[in-house]
This record gives sequence, structure tokens and C-alpha cells, in this order.
Amino acid sequence: MKFREYEAKQIFREAGIPVPNSELISRAGEAAAAQARVADRVVLKAQVDVGGRGKAGGILPATDENIAEVAKELFGKTIKGLPVEQVLVEEALDIQHEYYLSITIDRSAKMPVILFSEEGGVEIETLAKEKPEALHRAFIDPCFTNVPDFIMRNVLGSAPKSIGPVINALYHVYCRTDAILAEINPLVMTPKGVIAADGKIVLDDNALVRQGISENRDLTPREAEAEKHGFSYVELGGDIGVIGNGAGLTMATLDIIAHYHGRAANFLDVGGGAGFERVARAVRLVASMPGVKVIVVNLLGGITRCDEVAHGIIDAGVPQPVIVRLAGTNEAEGRRLLEDKGYSMLDTMDKAIRAAVEVANK
Amino acid sequence: MIYADKDTEILVQGATGSQGAFHINLMNQYAKEVGGAGVVAGMTPGKGGQQVHGVPVYNTVWDAMDPHDIGASVIFVPAGGCGDAIMEAADARIPTAVVITEHIPVHDVMRAIAYAKTCGTKVIGPNCPGLLIPDTCKLGIIPTNLCRKGDIGVVSRSGTLTYEVISELSLAGFGQSGIIGIGGDPIIGQTFSDVMDVFVADDRTRAAVLIGEVGGNLEIRGAKRALSLGMPVVAYIAGISAPKEKRMGHAGAIVEGGESDAASKIERLRGLGIPVATRPSEIPLLVKEIL
Repeated sequence: MKFREYEAKQIFREAGIPVPNSELISRAGEAAAAQARVADRVVLKAQVDVGGRGKAGGILPATDENIAEVAKELFGKTIKGLPVEQVLVEEALDIQHEYYLSITIDRSAKMPVILFSEEGGVEIETLAKEKPEALHRAFIDPCFTNVPDFIMRNVLGSAPKSIGPVINALYHVYCRTDAILAEINPLVMTPKGVIAADGKIVLDDNALVRQGISENRDLTPREAEAEKHGFSYVELGGDIGVIGNGAGLTMATLDIIAHYHGRAANFLDVGGGAGFERVARAVRLVASMPGVKVIVVNLLGGITRCDEVAHGIIDAGVPQPVIVRLAGTNEAEGRRLLEDKGYSMLDTMDKAIRAAVEVANK
Repeated sequence: MIYADKDTEILVQGATGSQGAFHINLMNQYAKEVGGAGVVAGMTPGKGGQQVHGVPVYNTVWDAMDPHDIGASVIFVPAGGCGDAIMEAADARIPTAVVITEHIPVHDVMRAIAYAKTCGTKVIGPNCPGLLIPDTCKLGIIPTNLCRKGDIGVVSRSGTLTYEVISELSLAGFGQSGIIGIGGDPIIGQTFSDVMDVFVADDRTRAAVLIGEVGGNLEIRGAKRALSLGMPVVAYIAGISAPKEKRMGHAGAIVEGGESDAASKIERLRGLGIPVATRPSEIPLLVKEIL
């Protein structure tokens, strides 16, 4: 789950990272009063979860003379499809230089990695592609509680030493919030010192509970419903509903659908050892997405009981055709149950998927 | 030897939970079938003195070390306490820890794996089905009815997809020397490269099947390692039509050295001269070609 800019900055402030004065508003009418408290010159920043927000018109400068109109304009906008519901009124900064700073996870090193560049403010993937030598990186042993001085020196190079404490504080934020990404882009140098002009924190979804977050607000209602029941569920937009067990097998199912020129509407991973109630719930959930014409169930496992799965599919009783590939314990009994009710059960995933694509494309 | 053999005495951490107990039973059924040592001890804090399917349960890992010669631990401890459980196994210097648990917070995984390294403990997983050496031993949850003994090493980031591939291989007459699920999490202990080293050192293994997914570049490194060691490899990468990874965002992708989607991985593997199957059912055909 992502924290929005204003939330990230609140966390930064508490961790001792300098941030601009600001106030969050949710109506244009609040803008003038907020501006009066924040600074003479401000920027209004739409709090939407999209990249390239500035270029898309989501950040507008304002003064006490035009604040009301600018706020009205911003609240009337949609930025890359998202309506502007909250705006951060923030003091305009006197920027002398922009840096990039983030801490994320390096899969190969199996450690946190600090990324720093003296050329901030640009899209980081552009920088990484065009000038990889300008992006400094350093790994931190996850058992360290602070960033050691030598790592700080290696990361900063010739950049001002006053950025060091920001790096250490950002590492503390990264660890304490169970983040998979903590980013300041840009980190700016001003006459008053170094300030985090923007902020982004992406949390590890596996750590939300211990972070005291009960609901992942980045999910669609059906995705949230799926998560509540321990399913992995993602919506894609085609017309074939997909149910599998295990992420790899489910992904392979999507790939074979594409191979036969079908389009998956969604996919749901029921996990291991699913009983009949879980299967029924999964089938209903996948079927409930508008546009699903046919459902393919591809379950494989030593401990999955095919008769249980068959009962679940029959119990769900969804209007769309359900095509089944099942392998596991009590396979013959599962087949008998399904075929009695007129469902087709095929013995390989290729066959089942091809049959589903044929139904969808009919 | 691929991490374990017939004589490896196994500890199960999280022995009294439903998953732990269920799989102690299945692991020991297999051990009985093949004449192996199997699970000799269980561990759950506060449940010392109990028995699970005839296996004695201890309060701490160290308590289990004294009466037994533990060669590997299989960990079913729930996600919140699982990082701690891995470190406890490492602290007792157990050579191999197989972590089945999924949804462990990634910071816990990073810390536990870093600590295990200092203790010399090899961590397989987390979020993995474990390993199965046909007719020899089973450490984890891979179903034994799909495999048959042979000389193909199978290494995979996935669970059920691995079963699909084993089943295809067995049906086509290609038995397996070892099947290892290394786990689907962003941070895992043993990687494709590590397992290739193990396959090369193993007398039986003649070729490897590498099953990867979107994200990271471990598949490429593993394939290069295998080539440099002279081990023939066939690969399959799932997720060519998967949506762009939602979780890690761009900074994550950059750290991984650019393209980590399935299509570019497949292209890079083919660029190395490695046959890549487009569907699991193609794998046995490609294996036949490289042997």
C-alpha cells in the first residue's frame, strides 16, 4: 500500500527530515485560509497516486491574489483518470539544487539499497537509463540499525555532507514503517538547508497488520473482498475468469490463454488445500466481475481434494460456463460429480484453456 | 547430495499447527516408503513434551538438537513469528532450513537470511514447497505421487507450477534427481545459482529445468552459472501476460538492472542459447533435445 505525499511528509517530519510548511485541504474554499497560515507564495499539490503528476497539471503555483481560483481549478481536475479530492497547500521553496534519494530492496544482494543522485527532480528510470553512472548505490546490511559513515561517504561523493542525516533518518523511516520503497524526489537544497520537497512511501503489504493498518485502500472492492478471504486476486479486463492455485500456475494459465488468443478478465489464486466453501466463494467472486463470459478452473496439487472442489463449483452455481482441469486426490469422484451436472472436466491445462477461449470467442 | 539424503534427520518448527502436523505425517509416510530417517523432532514454544503423529515436540530448537542429529529444519511457523524461527534454526547451526510459510514481512526475511548466512545455514524459501528427492527424502509439501526417480534436476520459484512440470516430465519418461522450490518472494535464501552449484556437484543430475517468473533477474544469473559449469538447462518463465508488477514500482525495477518482465527474461535466456518453453507441456520436448 502506498502512503500519499502528505502522509509520507508527516512521517518524515516526525523522523527529523526537514519538510516544507504545509496544510492539507479537501475543499477549494479552504485554500485561502490555509495559504495565509502556510506562506506568502505556495504551491497546490493534488494528492493522487500517479507518477508524473507535475507534468499532468497536478501541481500549480499560487499567491494570496489568485489562490481561490487556482484551488478551484485544481479541485475540478482529474489527473490521469483520478479525481482530485485532497490538495496539499505547501510553501514554495527557493530551490538551489535538486537531488534524488531513495531506499528500496535489492533482490540479488538480498538487502536494502540506498540510491542517490546529484541530478534529482527527473524521472528516476530516465536517469538510470541515460546516465547510470550518476546514480550512486550502496547496500546496507539489514542487521544495521544506522547507516555507517563509510556508506554515507560512498553514497554522497561530492554532495553536501548535510544530506547525511537525511539518509540516516530515511533509513529509520524505511525500517520502522516496513517500507519496500522510501523515496524523496526531489530532495532540494535551499538557503535554509536541505528539504524533502516530495515524498513517497510504499509499504510491504505483508506487514500492514503489524503497522496497525486494517484495510489496504489501494485495492478495488472485489480485490479487497478477495484479500479478506486470503485469495490473491487481480483484475485485467478481458472476458475469461481464471481460478488457479499457486501464483506460478495461475500465471502460466494466463500465458496459455494469451497463447490461444484469449483475454483473461481476472485471476484468482485460491492457495493450497482449498475446501468446498472456499472454492464456491472463489467461483462466485470471479464470476461477479462484469464482462466475464466463461470461467476456467485449473487446480493441481497432492492435497487438493477434487471431490471438494467439484462440490464447490456446483454449489457456486454461477450463470457462466465453468471449464475445469483438476488433478489431485479423488480425481475420479470429482469428475463424476461435475459431469453429472453437465460441467466439462478436461485432463490437461492446455485442453481446458483452449476450450475456455473457444467459448469466450464464440 | 542435494541438500539432504535418506539419513537426514528432520526437525519441524511449528509442529503442532494444523499445517505442521499434517505435513509431518505426509513426510514420515514417505520416509517409511523409501526407508529414510524422516521427521525425528518437532518444535513449538510451550508445547514441549507433546507428540505429533508419534514425533516428540520440544520447546526450543536447542532442546531438539541434544537428543537428535538434526540435518535440516522444515519451518511452518506463521508469518509474524517466522523470521524469528529462521534465526533460531540458524543459531543452532542447522545446515539447511526449508521455509514453507508465505506472507512473511520482507524486512524480517532480509534480516533472517543475513543472520543465517553468518551462521552457515542455507535457507530454502520462504514461500516455497520445499524439496523432494525421489525415492530418497522429502522436506516440505511437494506431492510425491507425481514424481519419479531419474536424472533431471528441477528448480523453481513456484509451487503448483512445479508439480505441473514434474507431472509432464514423469509422463514423458524423464525422472527427477531432485525437485527444489526456492520460493516466490522478492527475497529468498538459496537462488537458482546456488542450486545449480548443488546440481553440478550431484552425481546423478545430468540436466536442469529452471522454472522462473516475472520480477528480479535471478533466472538469468542462474542460467549463466549453469552454462559456466557445463550443466545443460531448459527454462520456462511464467507471466508473459501478467500485469506489470504492482508492488515495487519503478525504483525496484531499476535496482534489478532494467527489464525483469517475462518477455525480456525469455529473450535474454534465448540470447544465452538456452531453450525456453512457451508452455509447461513443451518442457519434456526441449529436455529431450538437450540430452
